[in-house]
Amino acid sequence: MNVYLTDGSEDCFYTAVFSACTDRDCVVTSARSLQLALGSTVLVVRADEEKCGRVKKKLQQYAPRSLADISLILRRDSPGKEQTALEYIRLIVQKKAPVGDMLSHPAVIAAREEKKKVTLEAHRFTGFLRFIEGEGGILYAPFAPDNDILELLLPHFLARFRGMPFIIHDTARGRAALYNGKECVVAETEKKVEIPLAEREAHFRALWKDYYEAVNIAARPHERQMKGYMPVRYWKFMPEKQ
Amino acid sequence: MIDAERLKILTESAKYDVSCSSSGSRRKNEGGIGNASFGGICHSFTPDGRCISLLKILLSNRCAYNCLYCPNRAEADVPRASATPDEICELTMAFYKRNYIEGLFLSSAVEGSPDATMAKLVDTAVRLRKVYNFHGYIHLKGIPQADKALISRAGLYADRMSFNVELPAERSLRLLAPQKSREGILSPMKQLALEKAAVKEDTAKARKRFLPAGQTTQLIVGASPETDGQILKLSEALYRRFSLKRVYFSAYIPVVHHALLPDTCTGLLREHRLYQADWLLRFYGFTAEEIAPEGENLPEEYDPKCAWALRHMQFFPIEINKAPLEALLRVPGIGTLGAYKIVKARKFARLGFGDLAKMRIVLKRAKHFITCGGKFYGSENVTSVKNLLMLEERSGRYEQLSMFSTPETSLSALTGQL
Ligand code: SF4
Repeated sequence: MNVYLTDGSEDCFYTAVFSACTDRDCVVTSARSLQLALGSTVLVVRADEEKCGRVKKKLQQYAPRSLADISLILRRDSPGKEQTALEYIRLIVQKKAPVGDMLSHPAVIAAREEKKKVTLEAHRFTGFLRFIEGEGGILYAPFAPDNDILELLLPHFLARFRGMPFIIHDTARGRAALYNGKECVVAETEKKVEIPLAEREAHFRALWKDYYEAVNIAARPHERQMKGYMPVRYWKFMPEKQ
Repeated sequence: MIDAERLKILTESAKYDVSCSSSGSRRKNEGGIGNASFGGICHSFTPDGRCISLLKILLSNRCAYNCLYCPNRAEADVPRASATPDEICELTMAFYKRNYIEGLFLSSAVEGSPDATMAKLVDTAVRLRKVYNFHGYIHLKGIPQADKALISRAGLYADRMSFNVELPAERSLRLLAPQKSREGILSPMKQLALEKAAVKEDTAKARKRFLPAGQTTQLIVGASPETDGQILKLSEALYRRFSLKRVYFSAYIPVVHHALLPDTCTGLLREHRLYQADWLLRFYGFTAEEIAPEGENLPEEYDPKCAWALRHMQFFPIEINKAPLEALLRVPGIGTLGAYKIVKARKFARLGFGDLAKMRIVLKRAKHFITCGGKFYGSENVTSVKNLLMLEERSGRYEQLSMFSTPETSLSALTGQL
């Protein structure tokens, strides 16, 4: 059995698919902590523009929307994401058509579930992300999402806060989007950054905590529901939960 | 700047308004801060399990009226406060920038006259839009009996408005909220519905957004004797006549003791059953009459869709691979999402019981009402079906708290999947 080991990038994944698609019992993964089955051969894949391009072109031809789906699946924080994406691609290649509506097919079910986890988390963080106003008015939002969703959040906040400089910092992956009010770049960063706070910051934080307390109906506790919608691991950067 | 104490008074009083949604608007950022997200966004959840989306606050809780059920009524001895439009704007902007909220839900007690109060509400919305350049979500509460021109003007700046019907029957309203009248509440709702329709027709005006997220209303359940059947009939009429986006129900909580008011809380279960029924009205093709005849209440033992199905066993079982969408939507446990999944999936492959399970369609109720490829997996005996459905609703450690509903019921009341 061949194990195609990728570097986690999309291009490298598609390069692996070039051979893996027809290599029946193979595994494609970017996970570093891998339990190798007996008799398996590890093939370290390096992104190859031509192979990657050819796979994407075929997919584009059969199922134009699948590229976006796969890109979302590859943002998952799970060791099996490449395999899920591979099975999905195999089905498209076999049908030579979009397969997104084959809702009872195991490959489609798995792909949709992985994709959903990514889009759901991105949607949640459009609400749960918290900005801190730093000196000089710059807004800084640290967060530590399960999946790699920084780029998925950007269009939302760029439209909403157009012209207002901000930083969104994925502290789990050490990457940040830096927006100066005109252009936005994503850069590798430290995992921890100290920001001097604006004068009014503490005041509004305190008001927000008061507000949070005041709107709760204490006579009707339902913690389970709260935690279901707003998982505890996200609380770290939410002032109302400090 | 608003201080903590006034903030507390003005938000404590606003929290019983159950509408929290920030959905329905596609307002764009036109060179300022903010926009609206059509599906709505939750920014936090409180320990009572509810979502915080908007800054829900009153301009003032000094009220000239005397609605018996309201803690802020004129006669009540409670701390009073008001805020200026600028204070509200400033707080909204500060919270919005930090991504605490999606926008503002502004309401007020009747301070002075309805006109003066409405004018102040509208003024706040206009300031937010024009002075603060805010393009996020604004929900304005309408003050009954306020001037027509003011109400029209509000529609130009707000995304959504709501006049609360409060009590399901006119008689109860007269008794419990003597200064309000059914007419005073319904006529501005009608006015706004007509104006919105007119703006839609007129393409030249279409760019001038008018109340993009429409209107909602709220009914207090259990403060007065009306049945669920009456309440649903009223909701249905409101949806049809005023194209309301949503009717909210609020289980009565006694904050005030009065001979004309019950002393006990209305069970959350009743509120949840009404919400379930409301989803059936809006998305499942049921009429109010089908769900609950006018003089009747919804059953407590099972959800209103189960109840309907049990009364109409002659329609079941239906074949999952053939039944039209309308019929699938009537199967207990198959929600709108499940029904659409089935319709899509069966175009490619014949569906068996196992496939449905893999597709995450919940079958514990549905199995008694469907066949998959001709095979039936439920119980043939209606009485035993009833018992099975009932037991399952009552199961678990929530049994003793009959006032509360089960987590499953409360989830389905929220998501509308039943
Ligand atoms: S009008 Fe009635 S419900 Fe509204 S604040 Fe005044 S007393 Fe309360």
